[in-house]
Amino acid sequence: MFKPFEKINRQTFLILVGSQAAVALLMWQLTGGGLIPQPSRVLEALAQLSATRLFADNLLTSLLLTGQALFYSVVITLLFGYVSVIPFFQPVAQFIVKCRYLTLTGLIFIFTLLTRDGGQLKLSLLLFGIVPFLTTSFLSIIVHTPEQEFELCQTLGFNRWESLYEVIVVGKADQVFEVVRQNFAIAWMMITMVEGLNMSEGGIGTLMIKYNKYNDLPHVLALQLVILGLGLGFDQLLGVLRRWLFPYTKH
Amino acid sequence: MGTYAKRDVLLRVDGVGLSYGEACILRDIHFSIRDVVRPGLQQGQVLSLVGRSGIGKTQLFRLLSGLQSPDTGTIAIRERVPVEKGDGSIEMYRERKVQAGDMGVIFQNYYQFGWRTVRQSLLLAARRNKALAGKEEDAIRQYTQRFDIADVLHRYPGQLSGGQQQRVSIIQQLLKGSDFLLLDEPFSGLDVCVLDKVVELLLQVSLSDELKTLIVVSHDIATAVAISDTVLVLGREAGREGSTIVSEIDLMERGLAWQQEVRQEKAFMETVQEIKECL
Repeated sequence: MFKPFEKINRQTFLILVGSQAAVALLMWQLTGGGLIPQPSRVLEALAQLSATRLFADNLLTSLLLTGQALFYSVVITLLFGYVSVIPFFQPVAQFIVKCRYLTLTGLIFIFTLLTRDGGQLKLSLLLFGIVPFLTTSFLSIIVHTPEQEFELCQTLGFNRWESLYEVIVVGKADQVFEVVRQNFAIAWMMITMVEGLNMSEGGIGTLMIKYNKYNDLPHVLALQLVILGLGLGFDQLLGVLRRWLFPYTKH
Repeated sequence: MGTYAKRDVLLRVDGVGLSYGEACILRDIHFSIRDVVRPGLQQGQVLSLVGRSGIGKTQLFRLLSGLQSPDTGTIAIRERVPVEKGDGSIEMYRERKVQAGDMGVIFQNYYQFGWRTVRQSLLLAARRNKALAGKEEDAIRQYTQRFDIADVLHRYPGQLSGGQQQRVSIIQQLLKGSDFLLLDEPFSGLDVCVLDKVVELLLQVSLSDELKTLIVVSHDIATAVAISDTVLVLGREAGREGSTIVSEIDLMERGLAWQQEVRQEKAFMETVQEIKECL
């Protein structure tokens, strides 16, 4: 267990995770107090929050917005990813990839001018934040496609469009799913940020900013716990879906 | 061994050369494959291309498959062209430059689409074959039963053994309907039992059609000689850059072709030794 590259079984791993988490919580409980709330207080706040309609409504708002943003992001990414194999469209695809170095803060005003309402503003900011990362990952998959996949298409007499469909559209579908799974974290992380920019429609980010404003740290941490739990839950769900939809997948 | 005759040229390689920058890889490659006719038999052709590792066998394999074009020379195949006549259709033949897709290609690692089940992969190939239109499923069933893989039709390549993957690759290319089948190192890494099965399988394929032509690229000289009717030795000539065909051995002339127990014969061992000396 303490040797490099030692292989451990899943049960041992779960025991390790559980025991280390228990130790961390215990230390937090023992050393907490004062401004930083102890786990027991955070759990109390979580229980209180869970019982309110306000929490459920805001959570639903955030989930819907994230789902919507993710859906549009995947559509845009797939579109630009697929056409990136056509030389004419490569500059556009590369520009999207480079956009990940731009910060959202400097573009908020421009997006405000370009959109009609708060909902559109939040959605477009999320898209701008997610698409470059998704596109980067997807283009990397396309670039690293083994040459043999195209050669097998050629030996079977496929033309270039048929090869594109077989190798990239069908053949990479499981990896697209994995890319979405990995980048879901970005969308979920950004949701709290963009909801802070436009608070009229609510959302878990709006709720967190309100609690932050009054230094209600137990509720802020309780919300963080919800965000973390939901993120991990979606990660698991997408993993299960991937294995179900693409049984040949290795991971 | 019986009588045989060599008829029309099925594949012609003329003055083929390949270079990467300043480095000459292949030069002046000339050879042809003729239709071998044996009375009362559907006898295909089996040509082996042997040579040491790194001599350029795989490069020549890629050129023959049409996946890459030579810098000089041409590779041409004889193509069947259906021609309509008043009393029915007959077949005519014409020679044209080889293109990717003309030949069935079986890569060394028997590569298959990892996302397709065996049945789906075979169906992709069968649908390219106009002669199988509407009968694709029947053809798949027949081939998979004949090659003993009917029970793995719904598996993915990652769930198959090496031998099963090889058979799937061969069936896929057979279903595609090409007369030519190119195999890159089909004997490498196989144990003795599997090797015998592969040899049997290739001989079975070569007897499936009069025009079926197998080109086997290998460094396993003994096995290549045992299954072929012709062996080409790819090597280097002293003082000259680039590999070329240094010897062409007609095994039919020597009475070594199409014999099950050929390995026991003295002439076989002498031929293997002769090839080794050419390398």
